[in-house]
Amino acid sequence: MTTTSVPLDDATLVGRARDGDVRAYEQLVLRYQGPMFRLALKMLHHRGDAEDVVQEAFLGAWRKLAQLNDDKAFVGWLYRGTTNRCLNVIRARRPQADVDLDLAESPRRDTQPEHAAQVSGQLAALDDALQTLTPQQRACWLLREVHGRSYDEISEIVGANPTAVRGRIARARAQLAEVMKPWR
Amino acid sequence: MEVNQDYGLPCGRELETVWENLDEVDEHQLDCVHCRTARESLLALRAATQELIDEPDPTPPDLVGRIMSAVRAEVRRGQMLDLPAAEPGSVEVSEQAVAVVLRYAADSAGNVRARRVRVRKVGVDSSGAAQVEVELTLTTRLGNTSGADTLARVRELVSAAASSRVGISLVSLDLLVEDVYEDGE
Repeated sequence: MTTTSVPLDDATLVGRARDGDVRAYEQLVLRYQGPMFRLALKMLHHRGDAEDVVQEAFLGAWRKLAQLNDDKAFVGWLYRGTTNRCLNVIRARRPQADVDLDLAESPRRDTQPEHAAQVSGQLAALDDALQTLTPQQRACWLLREVHGRSYDEISEIVGANPTAVRGRIARARAQLAEVMKPWR
Repeated sequence: MEVNQDYGLPCGRELETVWENLDEVDEHQLDCVHCRTARESLLALRAATQELIDEPDPTPPDLVGRIMSAVRAEVRRGQMLDLPAAEPGSVEVSEQAVAVVLRYAADSAGNVRARRVRVRKVGVDSSGAAQVEVELTLTTRLGNTSGADTLARVRELVSAAASSRVGISLVSLDLLVEDVYEDGE
């Protein structure tokens, strides 16, 4: 069997995966698990929840591959699945937090100790500040500033018009910048 | 941009304007304490964001394995095709397995990448092998000027793979070129 050493483009891999080629799909998983996991982790601030979300997002994408009209749109579609699942997890968490704020302490802070030790004060401040944003603002800001998606792409991903997306990002930026001040 | 209205600084400048011109300070900003403060905060934010990008949280080592075992558990095998059998009993191969072999055969022609493969069983020949019609969608390398030669080679390789590697009989092969790719893509 001929093997291809050059990494294939997304659309080719998606086309093959749709035919049931599991290896092609694995290439897509290898390619995008990192960004999806990092998005989910920053959204949820909980490694276990983030892992579950990413697994579900990839499994959901596999199941619905036949419904994807444009093979090149795969990554945007994956971002949408991951973002929506994160928002659902956050929505499901809320009632718990209301039960007893003292006892419901810190479900979302279990960053790896060894990694946490390496991060700078500024990064830690940003990490904390991110959790003060609304989930929608946080999603939009992360997609724009960390994942480099365009306003149009983000509006597709979160299902809001580009103006609303710009508004959320501007608000998020203002709020984050405010928090960054004491660390200067 | 109408969305900036809420974030005006006391000097009248928008926070977004300061953000967009972070690397080009104009005269107003040099003198304006509000702009300077805002700019420092935004610079700190930009630096921290860059750190976030440069030092990504490590991905759990078993995540790909978890995802793929969930995916494999769902794989539908598709329709089964009969293969000629020298011994009594029957041998079958799934359409998906055939598709994989044909795709790799097409790839080996060079300058093309196989995308979708549709395998349709239309009958059985005298040796007991399934007769199939195949539709293969391809993308070709941008700048490939010998398209006809390439497709002829694809046809040859795919037909050969169907009979010799799989053992099915190819009664028709439709090749559709739907896209181009660039080197390095």
